[in-house]
Amino acid sequence: MIQKKICMLGAFAVGKTSLVSRFVKSLFSGKYHSTVGVKVDKKLVVLGEEQLDLLLWDLYGEDEFQKIRPSYLRGSAGYVLVADGTRRETLDRAVVLQNRAEEIVGTVPFVLMVNKSDLGEKWEVDADALAELEKRDWPAFKTSAKTGAGVEEAFRTLARRMLAG
Amino acid sequence: MDEPLKPGNGGEAGPAPPADPLGQLRELLLAAEQEQVVRLQERLDDPRSRAEDVSRVLPEAIAIRSRQDRDLTDSLLPAVEEAIGVSVRRHPEVLADGLFPVMGPAIRKSIANTLAEMLESLNQTLALGFSRQGLRWRIEAWRTGKTFAQVVMLRTLVYRVEQVFLIHRETGLLLAHASASGEGVQDAAMVSGMLTAIRDFVHDSFAGGAEAGGLDAFRVGELAVWVEQGPRAGLAAVIRGSPPRELRSVFAEAIEEIHREEARALEEFEGDAAPFEKTREVLEACLKSQKQPAPAGAGRVGRARRYAPVLAVLVVVLAGIGLWTFAAVRRDRRFESYLRRLNAQPGIVVTASGRREGKFFVAGLRDPLAADPARMLAPARLAPRDVVASWKPYRALDPSIVAARARSFLVAPETVSFRVGGGALVASGTAPRRWIEEARRLSRTFPDASRYDDRGVADTDRKKLDAAREKLESRRIFFASGSSELGPSEAAKLEEVAPDLSDLAALAAAAGLQVRVEVVGRGDSEGSSDVNTALSRRRAERVVSALSAKPSAEPLTAIGVGSTQPLAPERTEEDKQLNRSVSFRVVLPGPRSAQAPQ
Repeated sequence: MIQKKICMLGAFAVGKTSLVSRFVKSLFSGKYHSTVGVKVDKKLVVLGEEQLDLLLWDLYGEDEFQKIRPSYLRGSAGYVLVADGTRRETLDRAVVLQNRAEEIVGTVPFVLMVNKSDLGEKWEVDADALAELEKRDWPAFKTSAKTGAGVEEAFRTLARRMLAG
Repeated sequence: MDEPLKPGNGGEAGPAPPADPLGQLRELLLAAEQEQVVRLQERLDDPRSRAEDVSRVLPEAIAIRSRQDRDLTDSLLPAVEEAIGVSVRRHPEVLADGLFPVMGPAIRKSIANTLAEMLESLNQTLALGFSRQGLRWRIEAWRTGKTFAQVVMLRTLVYRVEQVFLIHRETGLLLAHASASGEGVQDAAMVSGMLTAIRDFVHDSFAGGAEAGGLDAFRVGELAVWVEQGPRAGLAAVIRGSPPRELRSVFAEAIEEIHREEARALEEFEGDAAPFEKTREVLEACLKSQKQPAPAGAGRVGRARRYAPVLAVLVVVLAGIGLWTFAAVRRDRRFESYLRRLNAQPGIVVTASGRREGKFFVAGLRDPLAADPARMLAPARLAPRDVVASWKPYRALDPSIVAARARSFLVAPETVSFRVGGGALVASGTAPRRWIEEARRLSRTFPDASRYDDRGVADTDRKKLDAAREKLESRRIFFASGSSELGPSEAAKLEEVAPDLSDLAALAAAAGLQVRVEVVGRGDSEGSSDVNTALSRRRAERVVSALSAKPSAEPLTAIGVGSTQPLAPERTEEDKQLNRSVSFRVVLPGPRSAQAPQ
């Protein structure tokens, strides 16, 4: 059994915690976020022959990227960048966060989840922006923590990439 | 390039032309050697191959030289020191990792010493606590030769290590897990992550410094979580109850052992925990527990035997305390009874009493005529050395003290007793007349009574006088019918009467009385009264004359009463004989004023 640590990174209120909740059935209640400031969940991902335990570290209120504690990212085999599709600036924040993460953990696999795809009418992130990221070889997914669309796929992609790396 | 190829035998330079027969010969003869020489030369000139050569012999060379002398060490020393210095500055973690298994035990030893000192002070603190359990532990410590603190530690710290997590330091991923009950394993990976996250959080929030250590212990209800951190992995133990500090060393040794045994696996960890299955044994060894020792029925006899000397000592000590208490209580009781006696004593007023410096003390007022308090110690069964007394003199008005004072004031004889009643001093008993009169006079100046009543005091002199008088008056001198002559037996009687008379005179004189003795002659009723009167008078005169002949005789008066005052009514001859007699009558008038005592 292979275990991997994964960090959730993203601006405030982009839906990190909701995405994790959608992906896993949590053992710990949400109050850990406010008391300890962090919640760790586990998700078993089966990729063909391989089984992978993802340990998802989700920090509470990790809004300002400057505040990202190295200890939080340390030892991560991958990370998830989350942006809110209805707020353009959260995508820019994700880019900054990606740089910061790479400084700390080096080049490790990551995926970008552009969340709240269910709120299509308020969508601010245009196709150009996403195309720009595709060009930089960012694996980007439109997700919805509400409907579950794209969530599983994004996590599985990350898992595959980590195993390949 | 040609120069080095020159063969060592001093031949011509360069390869010989094929035409040269000598060269051909040389080539034929020495071709193999020449090739060897060339290869040798190449090896000598190539630094890489020389380094390879040296590397092959270097370990052995160092070993040989090290056995010979210390030169190698000396020459290496500066370089090694320099290298270590640089290493510590640039990569402190490398050296720290290497030293970790060595430093752990050394640090633990020093911590153990510090802890021991701390326990000593704990010992002193607990020494003040005197619960029943504390006493039991104290006895156990005394019996087993352990320090009290050790016993307390053994008895109080009851715990069970329920789960042990081996956690990869960098990723917080679970490497291995052991649990006492075998449950909770499915969540261990997440718990491991959370533990790491919490530790990181605390470390980042409070510690500040990069390597300032982290959260090593925290408590959730009755569960304690202890973390023993190594360079690459940490051990987190979940413990129920109160674990002893020694348990830390168990965890520390475990994590050191894992670092030693699994160094490579730890270094190369990429998420696959399989290699750490092997550490389960080490982790399971950490699942220690300690139970509160319950008194087992089987071991009871042995225990009782072991406790026997302790019990014996306890019994002796308790008996000693009991006796001491009993003695103290008894002494207190005796002192109380002594105080009661003192207070009941007239002329003594106790104003203060109590205990001072292990002795009783009593203070108060005492009339000089009151009983001696010191003499009352013996009846109260107290030793004089046990009681310190302080008495101030005063004048008591207790009736008995007033009476005693009167006795001393009036210089009374033992036969007189005094009492005080209704403001009067009442005397009773017997006393010589002289004292009675003197006392009557002195009593007027006695301050403690307004009146003096001596009606109860009998005059002893008068009593004696009365007795002498009675004796004399009972004497009878008999005569024959019609005769006034003294028969021989009656004359002999007068010999006894004479001293009676002189005694009476002496007593009367002492009593201050003038005494007169009448000698009364009688006759029976036979014959005429005149004859009888004359006869009776003669009889009286006969006795007076006989007595007057005796020395120191008193003046006597002879009286003849005839048969007018018979001693008995005459019915028989015996009655008549009784009346033919002389008797004595003592006449006591009032005191003789001239001889009254002054």
